[in-house]
Order: sequence, then C-alpha cells, then structure tokens
Amino acid sequence: MSLLELKNISKIYGELKALDKVNIHVDKGEWVAIMGPSGSGKSTMMNIIGCMDKPSRGEVLLDGVDIAKESSRKLTDIRRDKIGLVFQQFHMVNYLTAVENVMVAQYYHSMPDEKEALEALARVGLKERAHHLPSQLSGGEQQRVCVARALINHPELILADEPTGNLDETNENIVLDLFAQLHKEGTTLIVVTHDPEVADAAQRTIVLEHGRVAREVINENFGK
Amino acid sequence: MTKRRMFLRMITASLLRRRSRMLVALLSIGIGATILSGLVTIYYDVPRQMGAQFRNYGANMIFVSADGTSLDAEKTAEALSLIPKEKILGATPYRYTSAQMVRNQLSFVAAGTDFEQVQATSPYFMVDGAYPSASRQVLLGKEVAKTIGAKLNSMVEISWKPSVTEASGDTELKPGAYLAGSAEGFNSALVYVTLKLGDDLSIAEMTVNADSQTAEFGGRCAEESFTKQFIGKLIPLTAGTDVDAMTGATVTSQAVVDAVNKARPTENAQAATGNSLSLQVTGILDTGGDEEQYIFLSLSDMEALTGEQDRFDVMELSVSASAEELEEYVSQITDKSGSVSARLVKRVTRSEAAVLTKLQSLVFLVTAVVLLLTMICVSTTMMAVVTERRKEIGLRKALGASDSSIRLEFLGEGIFLGALGGLLGSVLGFGFAQVVSVNVFGSSIQFQPLLLPLTVAVSMLIAALSCMLPIKRAVQIDPALVLKGE
Ligand SMILES: Nc1ncnc2c1ncn2[C@@H]1O[C@H](COP(=O)(O)OP(=O)(O)OP(=O)(O)O)[C@@H](O)[C@H]1O
Ligand SMILES: [Mg+2]
Repeated sequence: MSLLELKNISKIYGELKALDKVNIHVDKGEWVAIMGPSGSGKSTMMNIIGCMDKPSRGEVLLDGVDIAKESSRKLTDIRRDKIGLVFQQFHMVNYLTAVENVMVAQYYHSMPDEKEALEALARVGLKERAHHLPSQLSGGEQQRVCVARALINHPELILADEPTGNLDETNENIVLDLFAQLHKEGTTLIVVTHDPEVADAAQRTIVLEHGRVAREVINENFGK
Repeated sequence: MTKRRMFLRMITASLLRRRSRMLVALLSIGIGATILSGLVTIYYDVPRQMGAQFRNYGANMIFVSADGTSLDAEKTAEALSLIPKEKILGATPYRYTSAQMVRNQLSFVAAGTDFEQVQATSPYFMVDGAYPSASRQVLLGKEVAKTIGAKLNSMVEISWKPSVTEASGDTELKPGAYLAGSAEGFNSALVYVTLKLGDDLSIAEMTVNADSQTAEFGGRCAEESFTKQFIGKLIPLTAGTDVDAMTGATVTSQAVVDAVNKARPTENAQAATGNSLSLQVTGILDTGGDEEQYIFLSLSDMEALTGEQDRFDVMELSVSASAEELEEYVSQITDKSGSVSARLVKRVTRSEAAVLTKLQSLVFLVTAVVLLLTMICVSTTMMAVVTERRKEIGLRKALGASDSSIRLEFLGEGIFLGALGGLLGSVLGFGFAQVVSVNVFGSSIQFQPLLLPLTVAVSMLIAALSCMLPIKRAVQIDPALVLKGE
C-alpha cells in the first residue's frame, strides 16, 4: 500500500533545477535509501516530503493527501502528527538537556512524558546521559538523541538526512540497528546517505543525479 | 507532566541557562522598573513634601465671622472639626483691639493669640528673645519696640478703653446697670464715660476718660471736681443747666455730657471702665510686615484686659492638603457652619497648586520617556535573542511547533523577565526615591505597598509589548532554510 508518492515534482531556484520531474513511490513500511552526489537535490526532496518546503511543480501525495497544495499551518500539523525528522546537522535546543530535547517533540505533539522520553533515550543507549546538555555530549551522542526524538511520537514516517554522516562505526551500527527495529515495528523509513553500507541496510536504494532519479536498485540481500 | 509544566521548564531553562543575554534584558527592564517605581513614589509623595515646604510660607486658610462680627469660640471649634485633624498643622486665633501704652499714650493694635499655634501657622516669624510662655508676658512688634524704646525683659503697661461700639445693644436702663458712652471732644478726639446706675436709675458712679484731650484743659474733665456734678442726676442731662462747664474746656465738657446722654448698657464693669495691664517683654518680633506694628499677648491676658471671653476676630489655619481638598473643606464649612466663614489664602494655595502641577507633569514626562527607552532597549535585546536562536526556532517548528506556540514561548519568556525586572525595580526604586527625597526634600518617604504589584504589572506589560516585534520576526522563520545547514 502506498504511503508516499512524488508525481513529477520539480523544485526550481531561478535557473537551477534542484529537482527535475522526479517520480518516486514509497510503500507503507518500506525502508528506502536515497543516494547521490552532493548538490543532487537529496535534502531538497527530503524537505518537501517533510512538509517544510513545497515543490515548484508536481504533486506530493502523503497518505493520499496532496501536501503541495496545503497551507503551511496544515503542513505543520501533518509534520507533527506523521513525521519524525533526523537532520544532517544534529540540531538540538542547546539550553535543554537530552531528555528535555526529546520532551520538546512530545510537547508539540501531545503531552510531555519524562518516563517515556527516558525509555527512548535508553533505546539509543543514552540512559546515563539523559540529563546532560548538548554541549556535554559528543556528536554521536547528540545524533542519537535526535533519533530518539524522531521516534518518540511513533511517527508513520521517519525521514533521516545523513543520520550517520558524522558518526563513527560503533555509533553508526547503533543507529542502523535501531532503524532495523523500527522497520520491524512497521515504520516507514527514508534515509539519505553517502555511505554504501548504510544504503545496503535498506530494502531499496534510489539514486539522484542533477535533480533526477538516475536509477533504482533493489537490495537482494535485505534481511540476510 | 502537564504541558504547562513543560512550558515553564522550557522558559526557565532558557532564562537560567542562557544567562548573559537574558541578563541584559533583565537589567534594562529592572532599570526601567526602578525609575518607574521611584518616580511614581516621588510623584505621590511630592504633594506631601511640597505641602510641608509651602506650609513654611504661612496660613493657607482663614476663618472669619460670616456676619462681620467676631467669631465664637465654640462655633469655631465646630467648624475646625470639619477638617480632618491630622491635616491641620496649626490653627491660630487672633483677637484684635486697640490699646495704649500708659507711659506715652501712643495707640497700637494689640493682638491676643495662642503662641504655640502662631509658630505653626507663621513659621517665618523671627523672634528676638522668646515667645511669651506665661501670663503677663508680651511680644512686641519691632516697630512698636523702636517707637516706645522698649528692651527685652523690660516692663510695659498697656491700657484699654471700651469704644461705644463695643457696648451691647440692650438699650433699656435697669437699676445697677453699667453704661458706657463716647462722644467727640476737642479736635474730634473721643472722650469716654462709664457710669453705674443707682436703684432709682440716677447716676451712682461715673468715670471719665479724657486722655485724648489737652491735659491742662479738657483733660481735667476727668477730675472728680467735674464728675461729681453728675452724681444723683437722671439721664439725659443738659450742659449749662444740670452741669457747669469746666473752665477753659467748654468743648470737652459738652462732649462728656453728650457721651453720658449717648451711653448704652455694657456687659460688665470692666468693659464699662477700661483696664490696664503690666506686661513683661519676652520677645521682639521681626517679620518684615505689618505685624511689626502690633503687640502680641496671650488670649488669657487679652481676656483679662478687655473682660471679653471666647471671642476671636480671625482664625488663621495652616492645612496640609491639596487645592481640591482645601476647596472641599471650605465648601463643607460654608454649608454646615452658619456663623463661620472659611476662605482660602489664594496667593499661597494657588502658587502651591501651580508648582505641584508643573512638578508632577515633569515627573510624568520623565517616566514616560524612561519607559519608552526601556521598551526600545528590551525590544532590541529580544530581537538579538531571536536572531541568535533562529536555528532553535526553526527546529521547534520542524518538530511541529505552531506559530502560536512560538509566540507563547517568547511572550512567556518576556513576561517572566518583566515580572523579575519589576520585582527588582520595586525594591531598587524605593531606594532611589528615598535617596532623592532625602537629598532634595530632606525627609524620608513611606513605602507604598500598592506600588509593588503596580510596578510588576507595568514591567510585565512593557516586556510583553517589547516582545511584539521580535516575536513577529520569530514566527516568520522558515524551518527548511534554517535547518538546511550553515
Ligand atoms: N534555498 C535555496 N536557494 C537556491 N538554491 C538552493 C537552495 N537550496 C538548495 N539549493 C540548491 O539546490 C541544489 C540541491 O541542494 P540539496 O541541499 O538538496 O543537495 P544535497 O543533495 O542535499 O547535497 P548534500 O549531499 O551536499 O547535502 C544545490 O545546488 C543547492 O545549491
Ligand atoms: Mg543535503
């Protein structure tokens, strides 16, 4: 069953076509990797899927709703209710502790629940560091807090833009294991990456080049 | 955990963990609130302070009799009770009469008064020596002292004679009644007679005061050789038939006869006969005004001299109140007291009101300017805060924060800062007002408890208003742009 469908979307900045007539289809529960050289339009596409930006042309159907036509207020609602975001640069509120940062997502979504937030941190192996400020955490730890924050509201779709770009091997594996778990639980995952190993963990890889879909590769080894 | 607690946790964390920036905002609100509460304290205290200063320039209200006669002590006290007691700094009764120095026959205005009150209503009186504090003591005006050559602690003897107008209106003659009368003698000067009637209504006793006449001629009409002719005779009398004129003093003799014929009953022997007192000079008064030509004695000495009790001509009051309050008292007294008429000394009350209005509008203006500056300062700081926190705001939006949540969070921080700054300002402001008051007016001020919530509320409002523009900027932040990277 289809969760997301990009139909002929383009994003144009003046002369530059960041995205050029892209067609992508993602099923519910699927784990998809997006690859491509720098500047190929990966983040641009993720922002559009994440309801933070709109395409210049085309339709974006999320759960059957064309989000390209919604008001920004409605987009905020959809983003809050359905999507968990992990960013390329790990963004945290720098004056709030790790657990508070997770609770911020709960706060905007529904009700802050410290116990649940601590459990999410435990899931990414950060139980001990829950009450540290971002400045007291390493890059890998911060990115794991961001992952915990993304999954705290049990979103249907997790969008991760280079979640492991700044991580070492150990941290990368922690995050990938977590993604595998989420996948098992039925969450749809779209992960942008430069790293073939990360891409190999997904069911399917879509490669972008110059704003177009260059090719799609089904991962034969998935689950093995 | 409820949303509200998380909200509070976020804004307090923002304030506590991002100290340096917030300290600037807090400081500017605090300073604004300090000046606000300080100036408002002074604003409300200035009338009191200024009033006290102005009361140094003398009485601002007077009581006189409504019908042009003298004031009754009891009625005056009733009128006085219509003014709140704590507002009355002094209420000085004056009883004026004309008196003579026995030694040289010079006439002066004698004023009976209450010296303790004089010091309150006329603080500018300068006394060389001291105010009289016991009976039979007198305060001489500087001019009087110069004219008669009186020194401190010397004795002066003053005499008082009734004028015919002082006799009461009862015209029916009764056995044993005292009569007093006066008529114009030589040079149109007055000659006084006092009489006592016998049982058959004939003249039983008689005294003449012809001090105003030439001593060796008309003056001799006071001698018994002349007055004894009147004894046993019935009024009216005819000069030449009933009484022989004094040799060389026909005019004065005729005046004495006229005075007897015009004599009217008076209340007591003293009023009828006149009196004299020997007084010790305790002080000499220097005012630069008319008072230097008066002599002042206590009310009880005045009563001893004239025999009249509990009557004043004027009461001077120094009332510590605003112009409106004074007007209010005056109209109340006019309404409720028939015989006492209250008036304001316009010269004093008007200039007091004018100075106060100017001073208060100045304070008001300065407060407004300070609040405006505070607003600009806080607004600028908050604007910098928003710029500094662009990424965080973008992140919050990406996490699903609606525009109103972002607004509420910044407003919350602003109002929290305002409350904190307001509290700080209330305390510092009182100190500030105290310092100003002590240095400018030389007296301390009371703490106004109501000012605390007021200052806090105004500070919160100012902070909230200052946040409006920065909040607008924050809401416009696009999460995609901010999160895309550096
Ligand atoms: N707001 C913008 N205005 C103009 N050009 C933009 C804007 N955002 C992105 N671009 C351009 O669009 C193109 C695609 O950018 P995008 O960020 O999607 O690349 P990417 O694939 O995520 O690259 P990377 O791997 O480096 O993150 C780039 O050439 C970029 O310069
Ligand atoms: Mg990118």
